[in-house]
Amino acid sequence: MSQLRHTLIGRLARDPLAVMAIVIITTLVTMAVFANLIAPYDYTAMHMSERFAAPSAEFWLGTDNLGRDTFSRLLQGGRIALTVGLTAVVISGLIGLVLGMIAGFGPRWLDNALLFFFDTLRAYPTIILALALAALMPRGLTTVIVVVVITSFAEYGRVVRTQTLSLKHSEFILAERAMGASFGRIVFHHILPNVLGPFFILAAMNLPVVITIEAGMSFLGVGVPPGTPSWGATLKDGFDHIRQTPWLILSGGLPLILVTLGFTFLGEALRDQLDPKLRSGR
Amino acid sequence: MSKTAMHRAFPVLSRRQLLAGAAGVSAAAMLPVKAWAQEGQLNIRVYTEPDDFDPVDASGFGEALLYGAIYRNLIQYEPGDDWSYRLDLAESIEQTSDTTIEFTLKEGQMWSDGYGEITAEDVAFTFERILDPEMNSRILPDIGTLARVEVTGRYSGVFHFDEAFAPFWWIALPYLAGTIVCKAAIEEAGGRITTEVPPTVSGPYRVRELRPGERWVLERNEDYTGDIPADYERLDIIYIGDEAAAEIALEAGDLDFTEVSPGSVGRLQGNPPEGTAMSMHPSLFYVWVGMNMEHPKFQDIRVRQALQYAINVNAIIEAAWYGVAEPSTGIIAPGLIGNRPESLIPPQGDPQRAAELLAEAGVENLEVTLNVLNDVTFTTAAQVMQATMAQAGIQLNIEVHESGSFWTLGVEADGDRWQDLEMIMNRFSMLPDPSYATAWFISEQIGDWNWERFSNEEFDRLHREAGTETDDARRDEMYRRAQDIMEESGAYRFITHGVTPNLYHDNTVPGTRPDGLPLAQYFRRA
Repeated sequence: MSQLRHTLIGRLARDPLAVMAIVIITTLVTMAVFANLIAPYDYTAMHMSERFAAPSAEFWLGTDNLGRDTFSRLLQGGRIALTVGLTAVVISGLIGLVLGMIAGFGPRWLDNALLFFFDTLRAYPTIILALALAALMPRGLTTVIVVVVITSFAEYGRVVRTQTLSLKHSEFILAERAMGASFGRIVFHHILPNVLGPFFILAAMNLPVVITIEAGMSFLGVGVPPGTPSWGATLKDGFDHIRQTPWLILSGGLPLILVTLGFTFLGEALRDQLDPKLRSGR
Repeated sequence: MSKTAMHRAFPVLSRRQLLAGAAGVSAAAMLPVKAWAQEGQLNIRVYTEPDDFDPVDASGFGEALLYGAIYRNLIQYEPGDDWSYRLDLAESIEQTSDTTIEFTLKEGQMWSDGYGEITAEDVAFTFERILDPEMNSRILPDIGTLARVEVTGRYSGVFHFDEAFAPFWWIALPYLAGTIVCKAAIEEAGGRITTEVPPTVSGPYRVRELRPGERWVLERNEDYTGDIPADYERLDIIYIGDEAAAEIALEAGDLDFTEVSPGSVGRLQGNPPEGTAMSMHPSLFYVWVGMNMEHPKFQDIRVRQALQYAINVNAIIEAAWYGVAEPSTGIIAPGLIGNRPESLIPPQGDPQRAAELLAEAGVENLEVTLNVLNDVTFTTAAQVMQATMAQAGIQLNIEVHESGSFWTLGVEADGDRWQDLEMIMNRFSMLPDPSYATAWFISEQIGDWNWERFSNEEFDRLHREAGTETDDARRDEMYRRAQDIMEESGAYRFITHGVTPNLYHDNTVPGTRPDGLPLAQYFRRA
């Protein structure tokens, strides 16, 4: 396993797309984690005489409608994005993993019921479902995470179920069964490791989607409360004041673009390395 | 079909090509596109959608704009810079004693759809519906002490009041309560007008189509018999809650007239977009922060007073109104009877005094929730309050609501949310008589418009007596005292009356009240 990991890391290190992705993600994560040390200003501090300032040596990405430093707020926004993104992906991934394996391994009726459930959730337009759920819950970060989990775990469930089903009837599993292997051994030793590859690819691809849902909800006014420096809220401020300054919307969009590129590139690189069909085609 | 042939028929895009394409389309979508309104069509924006076609249910600006276009009153506000009114359905109308107003209608004024002539029976029916307790009309306070309407002839009648009620001329006759409805049509419809069918109208426009949440489409009323006929074939009243979005819509040619945000005033005054003009008007609206006096957190007056002192009104005006408005001293604007020269608590507040009051009340780590409309001015104001209140050790949480949710927060008939309501930043529309401001804060209004659940016997008495007082100096004194009582209760922190900056296409001559609100029926082509 350790050798396999080293082989994977080695292969990723030789892939320019993967290197670019890792550089972007590492930079963003580092900036978010050390936001309080890096930020030149308190992200809540208002400088009314400097409102809508353009980028300068004093305010690197300019200021917003209340004269707050945009760079400092985007750093804090990174923390929110990563908190929401990672928490939601981990929770929705785990729920999807468990339900997907139950669907794949369970009786036909349970599979059909779960499949119907997954497809019903996936059929809803994500943002509409998010708006409906947000309207029923108090506004805040927890609500955003709950909404994102509800709107995204079905995707994992669907993928894991498909993988489980295809593995369930493979020859090596049948052989294990014939040799009297326990259910737990089959699941944890054979199915789970084989499902994790596509699962991680999906998780990497999904992280920017989740962050964008959070930003979208904040932009639409149902995400985090006003004053919270989420990237979506900064974009909303930028939209509200686009006639006063273009910098706010440009600065607010920058980290979203970077995080989307970073995780999409990482997902693609992982897929290229983990999918045997793609690898053999090279 | 072979794979190659399929690729020719449906070109396959890579993820990167797709992203690049999407970016290109997004950029193209951001380019300004002029889609000028069709000739003969006027598009006016409303920030709050009308409820329905029935004046008995009316609640504010949305209905006032719609009803002005499709219905008529005995008298109407005259557009311009000074408050005045003109005769509309009335040929004559006069105060014949403290408790009677006599009117005579113009002859030959017609309802649409073959409902015949407008008569004094329609006038009496209109006001009696509001008086009818079963109708549960929210505009009942507008008609004050009106007791009944006597029909003395086909075209004449007398309003009888229990006591003198001077505000009737300014807040009832030319406004919502004075919107005359067709007795025959309403009785035929079962007593209430819904949005199911277009109403029988008398104004220069009639209803063609209703698209809830989007627009109310009106067209010229060919049966109109008044002296201000429609100047447009079609009038669209378009609902756009957000001022920034409305401003963009106007510049794109989708609107002909809108109020814009205070933040845009500086830019638009110096350099308005091509083909547009801007006008500024002193507003009568009043904005305040209220506290639910029945909520456990606010039952100690010292806590309420601490919050009053913790709010820096000057900072709010500077940040949210960009310095173009002035701090208000109460709910009655300058220029009106009852305007106070200054508030009891200075506009800049006093965080230290706030902290002292909280200490006296034995309250530590106070955490309160402020409810605001999802509007950039209000959310900006809330964030400033959050920052300044923190100086007094108060944590302010902000709850933002869409219009539909916001306007039911404190209404008992709409659920139990009023019980959890803590603080609210609110804005009410206003007419040029002070009784229209105090009417919503009397004890009877608790759970309807009085969301602070403020109740004070002296206030109620002053409101009642000032409405029947005919001496202006005496009224002035009474309304000032009424606002002192509101402020002394600790439940109110007055913020501003704001301003009304309007942006419109220069192919339109807007008709607006002195406070800048549009009177759709007066709009003309340039």
